[in-house]
Amino acid sequence: MVVPQLVRNIAAKRGQAFKISTIVPAVIAVVALAGCASGKAETTTGTSTANPGGKNVSIVMIGGTSSDPFFSAIKRGAEDAAKAYGSTVQFTFLGPQNYNNLGPDVAKLQETALSQNPSIVVSPDWVEESQNDAFKRIVAKGVPVILYNSGGSSAAANVGALTYIGTDEYLSGKMGGETFTKNGGKNLVCVNTVPGAANTEARCKGLKDAAAAAGAKSTELSLPSATFGNPSAVTQAIKAQLLQDGSIDGILTIGAADADSAAAAIESANATGKVKLGTFGLSTSTLDRIKGGKQLFALDLQPYLQGFLTVSSAYQYVAYGLLAPSNPNLTGPLVINSSNVDVAIAGAQLGVR
Amino acid sequence: MTVDITRQEPAGRGSAPVIPPSKPTARSSAAQLSRRSETGALIGTIGVFIFFCIFGGAQFLATGGAASWLNIAAELGIVAIPVGLLMIAGELDLSVGSVLAASSMTLATVSGYWGLPMGVGILAALAVGVGTGFVNGILVSRTKVPSFVVTLATNFSLVGLTLGLSRLVTGTTSVAIAPDATSKNIFGTLIAGQFEVAIFWWIGIAAVVIWILQMTKFGNWIFAIGGDAESARATGIPVTKVKVGLFMTSGFGAALVGVIQTILYNGAQVSNGQSFVFNSIIAVVIGGVLLTGGYGSVWGIILGTMTFAVVSQGIYYTGWNSDWASLILGILLLAAVLMNNTFRKLALSAGIGTKKLKG
Repeated sequence: MVVPQLVRNIAAKRGQAFKISTIVPAVIAVVALAGCASGKAETTTGTSTANPGGKNVSIVMIGGTSSDPFFSAIKRGAEDAAKAYGSTVQFTFLGPQNYNNLGPDVAKLQETALSQNPSIVVSPDWVEESQNDAFKRIVAKGVPVILYNSGGSSAAANVGALTYIGTDEYLSGKMGGETFTKNGGKNLVCVNTVPGAANTEARCKGLKDAAAAAGAKSTELSLPSATFGNPSAVTQAIKAQLLQDGSIDGILTIGAADADSAAAAIESANATGKVKLGTFGLSTSTLDRIKGGKQLFALDLQPYLQGFLTVSSAYQYVAYGLLAPSNPNLTGPLVINSSNVDVAIAGAQLGVR
Repeated sequence: MTVDITRQEPAGRGSAPVIPPSKPTARSSAAQLSRRSETGALIGTIGVFIFFCIFGGAQFLATGGAASWLNIAAELGIVAIPVGLLMIAGELDLSVGSVLAASSMTLATVSGYWGLPMGVGILAALAVGVGTGFVNGILVSRTKVPSFVVTLATNFSLVGLTLGLSRLVTGTTSVAIAPDATSKNIFGTLIAGQFEVAIFWWIGIAAVVIWILQMTKFGNWIFAIGGDAESARATGIPVTKVKVGLFMTSGFGAALVGVIQTILYNGAQVSNGQSFVFNSIIAVVIGGVLLTGGYGSVWGIILGTMTFAVVSQGIYYTGWNSDWASLILGILLLAAVLMNNTFRKLALSAGIGTKKLKG
């Protein structure tokens, strides 16, 4: 009965690292509670005098709620890109008021976007079954579409979108696994505090495959819901795993808050230095640990770059017909480790990371 | 187990609400033990402990393993004891999850974000818990809406309020805090790098509550209200005041764990705490307290909490695939409760032969 909160809180807690698709399955359970969410639109018109000589381009971007920290970084990157092209760009951002009824709400926003006669629409494909028909209608009207953040290149091909720009959960997990094995990791653990969710499972599968490719061992520690929202329970479970199997030398967590628990677990298992820690997502404490040498790395999904690249690609396609051939066009993650942590901390202070 | 708990034993449904201490009669000690209300819980705790000693190996028995389940038991126990008292008095409190998150965020915001002294933040955090308990108690007493519904509503409302306010005030859903050494030592340090201070809080709270139940009329009132609130009222027990007090106590317990976790982990998250809602009720029920009220003991709750903690942590020492953790937890919990029922029947039939019990 407390599921709706729990799930919404996952998004809140790990907003830095989570795609909204995480919450979709449970969201269905809350449809009855969901209010009628109307979209909010904000229009930014470039005011700088730079005019690269292109025709007027109207870009409509569909994204997350205004309170989602991950999307506030995406939006910031998108607006910076729009400003860079000056007054020839009319940039509109549409977002749902909440994630309670995501598929239908975003499908309505897609209709809203089409009704504004845009040059191009950029949007995440969170709930394919609800959104894909609307994407196909936009494409059928001759308006190009770029998918970003969620969906992947398969969804892009399916709806006839130009390309997909964003991250890939599986490849990100693989990158995490490779970072461990390159640093001598032989026995890795993926701590999954939301077992069963498509994106967290994809992350752990990526780690597993990377470990197998390098001849290392790996296990997934899936924590039951009885530990949810209880950092002590997560800490003790990870500690138990470390004590039980003394050969573990690498731990990957799926969110920055879990990384705090894992760090405490490593300390109380007297395994500091022996067990290396990596995580999805950035937080102040994560960056501090990397700087202090207590954490090997963090995987930054780089939302600012996602927003910036999506809008600049959209503009360049409409104005000049330019399109990068790589699909998916990956904007992350970037491995943050001791070599680049200082610049990452500076970026976080500017609100870009 | 030296404390005499005879005064906590209920006299059964429909009997006089104020329970007179029953005179120990001459019985064999084994038979007497089998009739104590927490015998089932004790056997459950010992059973799961032996189970994980066998399958968990040396690490489970070593200091680190002991700390694992003691830390979990301590934090859960601080919530479960007052929740259990409420359940003995016939009420549920499902709001502990959001109280924990709210108190945690209050402390982190007041002392971390605003930078006020730690003492102010801790008092504010505890006040949030006690205040929520007061609201719960008043709503339950005045409206006669079942406490299940009232506290479910406050659980939802408080989560929303905490999320909304923390976004408004701090602009984020997780706030960091750098506690000073004194508050670290009192609430959130690891003794010998392993054992949380919370263990002492748990023992202290248990001792105080056992004393209240043994030595004060308040203790008898709780059982009387849980047995039959109307008869209790008729005999002059201030039912509303007792219930409001108990709700405030469970709010306090949850808020205290919020403070402990915030100081231990140097920060607060809006999403924390919800697992305590069911875990505390599970611990109380394994401890032999009846969901319908009127029956149970603090020793039982403590044992139930330990059983839950041993099971939920022991699984990670077995080396089994953690996907099965919830399944094993569920099966062991069911087994523990079934055993409790057997011993409860024995305990309730304790008087048979000397005097007849009604109901």
